Amino acid sequence: MAIVNQCPEGGVNWVIDGELTIYTVAELKAELLPSLAPNGDVEVDLALVNEIDSAGVQLLLALRQAVTACGNALHMKGASPAVRDALQLCNLAHVFDGHASLI
Amino acid sequence: MAKTILVVDDSSSVRQVVGIALKAAGYDIIEASDGRDALSKLTGQKVHLMISDVNMPNMDGITFVKEVKKLPAYKFTPIIMLTTESQDSKKLEGQAAGAKAWIVKPFQPAQMMAAVSKLIMP
Amino acid sequence: MDINLDSALQTYIVEARDLLHQMEEALLVLENDPNDSDTVDSLFRGAHTIKGSAGLFGLTPIVSFTHGVEDLLDRVRDATLNIDSALIALLLACTDHICELVDVVAERSASLDAQAVQRENALRERLMTYQVSTPTSPDTWVRQSVIDDSAVRAANLDWHISLRFGEQVYRNGMDPFSFLRYLNTLGEILHIVTTTTAMPALPEMDPESCYLGFDIRFRSAQTFETINEAFDFVRDDCAVHILSPRASLSEFAALLGQLPESRDHAERLLVESGSLLPGELDSVQSQLPTQPSPSTDLELPADPVQLRGDSAPQATAREQKSRESRYVRVHADKLEELINLVGELVIAGAGAKLLASYNPESELRDATAAVAELVEKTLDCALRMRMVPIGDTFSRFQRVVRDVSKELGKDIELEISGGETELDKTVVERIGDPLMHLIRNALDHGIEAPAVRQANGKQARGRLRLNAFHDAGNIVVEIIDDGRGLDRERILEKGRERNLVPAGATPSDSDIYNLIFEPGFSTAEAVTNLSGRGVGMDVVKRNITALRGSIDLDSRSGEGTTVRIRLPLTLAIIDGFLVGVGEAFYVIPLERVQECMELTSAANDAARRCGYIDLRGEVLPLLFMHDYFSIEEAGAGSRRQNVVVVHHLSKKIGLVVDELMGEYQTVIKPLGKLFGALHGFGGSSILGNGAIALILDIPALLTRLSEDSRACVSKSTTTSESLSVSQGQRS
Repeated sequence: MAIVNQCPEGGVNWVIDGELTIYTVAELKAELLPSLAPNGDVEVDLALVNEIDSAGVQLLLALRQAVTACGNALHMKGASPAVRDALQLCNLAHVFDGHASLI
Repeated sequence: MAKTILVVDDSSSVRQVVGIALKAAGYDIIEASDGRDALSKLTGQKVHLMISDVNMPNMDGITFVKEVKKLPAYKFTPIIMLTTESQDSKKLEGQAAGAKAWIVKPFQPAQMMAAVSKLIMP
Repeated sequence: MDINLDSALQTYIVEARDLLHQMEEALLVLENDPNDSDTVDSLFRGAHTIKGSAGLFGLTPIVSFTHGVEDLLDRVRDATLNIDSALIALLLACTDHICELVDVVAERSASLDAQAVQRENALRERLMTYQVSTPTSPDTWVRQSVIDDSAVRAANLDWHISLRFGEQVYRNGMDPFSFLRYLNTLGEILHIVTTTTAMPALPEMDPESCYLGFDIRFRSAQTFETINEAFDFVRDDCAVHILSPRASLSEFAALLGQLPESRDHAERLLVESGSLLPGELDSVQSQLPTQPSPSTDLELPADPVQLRGDSAPQATAREQKSRESRYVRVHADKLEELINLVGELVIAGAGAKLLASYNPESELRDATAAVAELVEKTLDCALRMRMVPIGDTFSRFQRVVRDVSKELGKDIELEISGGETELDKTVVERIGDPLMHLIRNALDHGIEAPAVRQANGKQARGRLRLNAFHDAGNIVVEIIDDGRGLDRERILEKGRERNLVPAGATPSDSDIYNLIFEPGFSTAEAVTNLSGRGVGMDVVKRNITALRGSIDLDSRSGEGTTVRIRLPLTLAIIDGFLVGVGEAFYVIPLERVQECMELTSAANDAARRCGYIDLRGEVLPLLFMHDYFSIEEAGAGSRRQNVVVVHHLSKKIGLVVDELMGEYQTVIKPLGKLFGALHGFGGSSILGNGAIALILDIPALLTRLSEDSRACVSKSTTTSESLSVSQGQRS
């Protein structure tokens, strides 16, 4: 599940915990989509994600795309070992560092 | 935590051999003797993979796959069908129902493990 | 539960041992031809399978040790590591060690003994040295854009894989990551680029549909087929493009056209993945229209997956598969049971035939004759099932010859011929030891050191030949060396010393040479590590005789020695010759029968007096079976008697019997414990009428008789002597 914190400076902070898999992505998208605002960066904390699959990574990519489309940045704050492992597998760790971009 | 595999086959020896190989590789096993038995054992717990025979009493493998796909907790779970060479039509039926993976019987444990590792890792 | 694990484990043990044996053979092949890539492949597969299956049974020691071996072989296959004799020696030692690890499993011992553990650690260290020195950097090769791009790319070891997953893939239970993880078990993902060009913007995207694509630079020594198989389960839900390491730039150009992204975008993905260099395709693009063969582009198959440099590995794999599927693994016990049952069937059939022969109805006789013929065919067939070529046994000695000759500082080549000759598995299993002994003998004492050979005008490299062929219901195995030959004088001297040769007698060369099969007879001057450990040639001979076989030896001084072993093809059945003595029946193995003749009553009287007859000018000693076995004469004298001339090696004797009943194929029943010690009988058989016939063991009988006659050289006749011996024996 996800907790959405609106930051006073305008940004958003998401904390996702538990499963970030095909079984939860639909629900997570529904929870997170409304909090996307045109102003302010997004910070996502994945330190509590104990399971993630490619559908989870795909959702993160879609979220990132939506944020950058508005000219903002998405930063990954924390990453659990499962998340780090998955991002390494598809070589996307740098994308969520906030520096590099997708081709 | 070990991942869980459901093994559905009416032959207890097949279940045992498959079970032994999978356990050795580090998986937890749930055994069921046919589709109906399997459905009764799927109570919402996490199952990472299902391996099902096609020809079984009470509920055959194809029906089982169709039923599993209706269960929210298992609709994305990979399913391997155990088919024989002569059951190509069954294989296609299974694939249409959403079980895209298969192992042709008879198989060596190593072949089965290769098929499993295409879908999940321990 | 346990039973199953057990049977599966037994299968594994057999499998692993087979594979280890194959690996050993492969290594020996590579020693002569280090560039044989098929053999390298099979070597690798062997290690791979042993490791893989061991994993199923949680046999961690095997997995962990074999892993290192597999790794090293992987590098050999990549051609990043060259095969030399040191490497082969190491790998041979490793296969030995894995064999030991398998033995630990087979014997259910808890673990290796301390020595073996030490050996393992040493081997691991040696394996490590190979790993450290191997360059692993993927960037060691540099590509250039030149016109002949295929030549340049040949140095490349890396595959390119483009995956574009379909939206349904999650709903079909698949996770694209699982395929990436699986790829990592087949090789190494050097670089991967994830693309989401197919993904709609967040509000429209369905998180349960898959929009992912991957471009992968993949280093693997696997075949195209193996890599392609990784995607079998996702074939419907994913566009898979695999370019082999040999793919030309035009193939890359074709791939760009296949990918859903725009050409520029797709090219950027390939460049990013490292499979293409920036601008590398420019030359191809500008070149394509002016290529010598303008149709090249059109000929490219629609799917680059089909684009392969060679289809040979695929074909061999298929061939292999079809060959494998023609075999069924059957438990030896089941086969044994079948052969036993067929044996009973033969006996029952003989009974029916006998009854039918009393019956006036010819139809019944015809019917039983037809059944008998089928039974015979069935028996042949059943026995053939247990026949295996002797080649496997022979080839095991390649290793022995290699190791032993290295140890002795000799250069010896083993030549094998007649490996396809078949014989019963039970016989094969029991000739390994005698063969080993004879071969070691030849290596150790027969073939000289290179310097000695050269001094004697021979080639420095010694030759040992193993040969097999069928001969009159027997298999003959020859062990031929081109060494120094036996020392006739020394053997004769020793024979005299030990009273094996009567003083003043001048035995034939062959008799002299065959003295070395006498118990305790050894002429070896030095006891080496290899042979001469006190287990002499007499043991070899005893083992061979126990198999109803014979052994003899031929030697020429300075030219070499030939040892010839003659063995029955099977132990289960015997082509016999049935004779009657009084009320009793005996079966004489047919291969021992030379001829039969009538003994007229006049000749009989004379023969009885002197104990021999004149067989075409040759003295043929007679053995009166009535006397020898103390059988009551039924209507003595009145009946005509017959002589069956039997032979073994160069010895001949006439067995005097009452009745000749003809050829008789019979299934041997062991005599059982109670009569096991009885000499002169090879077993028993039940006749069709229910009577029991004893099977005569002619070699044992002849040996017995010649021992008896030697012991009583002063007596002129042997018959009365034999009688007393036989009575003692029957107690």
